[in-house]
Amino acid sequence: MRKFKEEARILDQENVALQTWRLRLLAPRIAAEARAGQFIMLQVREGQDPLLRRPLSFHRILPEEGVIEILYRVVGRGTWWLSRCEPGTRLSLLGPLGNGFRLPEKQASSIVVVAGGIGIAPLFELMTQLVAKNACSTPQGIHLFYGARSAAEFLPPQAFHDLEISIHWSTDDGSLGYHGFVTRLVDQIVLGQKLCPEMLYACGPLPMQYNLAKWVLAHGAPSQLSLESLMACGLGACLGCALPAPHPGGSDEDHYVHVCKDGPIFPAGSILWQKIRLYQTAPPLFLYS
Amino acid sequence: MAEDKIVSDGSPALSVQLGPLRLKNPVLAASGTFGYGREYADLTDLSRLGAVVVKGISLLPRPGNPPPRLVETSAGLINAIGLENVGVEAFLKDKLPYLRGRRVPVIVNIFGNMVEEYAELASRLDGAAGVVALEINISCPNVKKGGMVFGTDPVMAAGVVRAVRSSTSLPLITKLTPNVTRIADIAKAAVDAGSDMLSCINTVAAMAVDIFSRRPKLANIVGGLSGPAVKPIALRCTYEVLQAVSCPVIGIGGITGATDALEFLLLGARAVQVGTANFVNPGVTAEIIDGIERFLRVQGLESIEAYIGSLDTRCVFPFAEEACAALDLG
Repeated sequence: MRKFKEEARILDQENVALQTWRLRLLAPRIAAEARAGQFIMLQVREGQDPLLRRPLSFHRILPEEGVIEILYRVVGRGTWWLSRCEPGTRLSLLGPLGNGFRLPEKQASSIVVVAGGIGIAPLFELMTQLVAKNACSTPQGIHLFYGARSAAEFLPPQAFHDLEISIHWSTDDGSLGYHGFVTRLVDQIVLGQKLCPEMLYACGPLPMQYNLAKWVLAHGAPSQLSLESLMACGLGACLGCALPAPHPGGSDEDHYVHVCKDGPIFPAGSILWQKIRLYQTAPPLFLYS
Repeated sequence: MAEDKIVSDGSPALSVQLGPLRLKNPVLAASGTFGYGREYADLTDLSRLGAVVVKGISLLPRPGNPPPRLVETSAGLINAIGLENVGVEAFLKDKLPYLRGRRVPVIVNIFGNMVEEYAELASRLDGAAGVVALEINISCPNVKKGGMVFGTDPVMAAGVVRAVRSSTSLPLITKLTPNVTRIADIAKAAVDAGSDMLSCINTVAAMAVDIFSRRPKLANIVGGLSGPAVKPIALRCTYEVLQAVSCPVIGIGGITGATDALEFLLLGARAVQVGTANFVNPGVTAEIIDGIERFLRVQGLESIEAYIGSLDTRCVFPFAEEACAALDLG
């Protein structure tokens, strides 16, 4: 698949949830090639500080209009700068990068999608395609488990209205839906309703992915987890975005896969979860509010 | 070398001679920032590059360090990759043929834990088609054995270079670390031991910490700083090395555009390597080549050779009296 360097123009940008922005970009070459689950490397401003591009997934891909949408959360200087950009601003993009989600090969009766906070970003385009391509026998057979720390972080429910999928909300603080972690809710509902998901898609913070991976491996469901990492190039050159993985030769030696090139979508079994370290902690909210 | 001065279309000649090595221009991609070339093939024309210095190769594959391996800092990037690479066998079989097909000269950066490993690597790569030189990595700050240990001691550095020299007829470049008291001492030792050229600098030893989690930001705790932040350090190191040796020197450190590259060439570096900037702008090397050519044209210079090493250090600035007299203001 071809990748491009493209100067995109901001069509508009909207604050859609707590510290969460939706950016509409005119980028016809990338829009024509992009698949759900892939990402771009976006330069948030000209100059040398911040130095690096930021990896951001596709929230919507609209090839007919030549438009892509990016949903992002302000977590640091780079995303803070991005949130200040006005319509008309030009931004340099590299993409589409990474492997992207695979849609189920045959029509499924039940698909589980788990989103943690801003993890909804790539899953929205995925679900749109799952519905459009009748990947599930009924839209209601697609179960979205959507968790966040608090209700203010959710995309508004209207955003999902046209999809007609089953949505299960959860918040860590109990402000909306199930009170507790989304992984608990997945466990309760999937086991309670005796769903046998033919595919589990997920994107969210690493602790959520870790718990889901353990759950998936215990229940034997196929999975596609969208993982993230700090990244310098996004092209497989810097080797910075390593995650521990089982050694292909079966030995105990250290081995790593790279999120940008081998991923960002991984089946749960391709990561060595017992060696995963939770190092990416977001700074406290007051820094960038 | 009159034939190099003017190309038929009148554009300035960019080719440079580096000891035994002739390159079509002085812009190289630096080791560790350009993979094995293929990673950039969609985004830039590899055949335009003076040469590609591939990711450091060891005898056996190395998995690299545990993550996190990267931290972005002000105008810089700290990495602790730990020389993850496919090993020399896979490199020769899977990686080199592609670059050979793209008609770009390949310089192989070699790395070992012991002197014997460097020598073994050199003899394995001797005669490999497409490889025009070896860059001896005695300057990586992110590995526990070998690497920078060799590069911080003149006697050990000379030992590595001598072992490699006796194992290959390829031109040798020794890549120096800035993490020493006197870089000139290491430079001289490497040249005396048989290095045809030197490249400087590798990354600057650095650290970053998180005030909230109260932990280092790298699993390796310390790493190597690169990017625009290190350019002034790299210029100073290149200057000191050029004062100490008479062999060709390749300048590296924080080059993001033609003006940065021209600064190193002005000092007397006969080529430059572009590293971290490739991550941000995959087409940066081609832009630098074009920028150098434009600069020479505007300056009325026929060739890059006429600019290399033309830094005026007789006195730092001219006295106003002399400068004004020269203007003949009447």
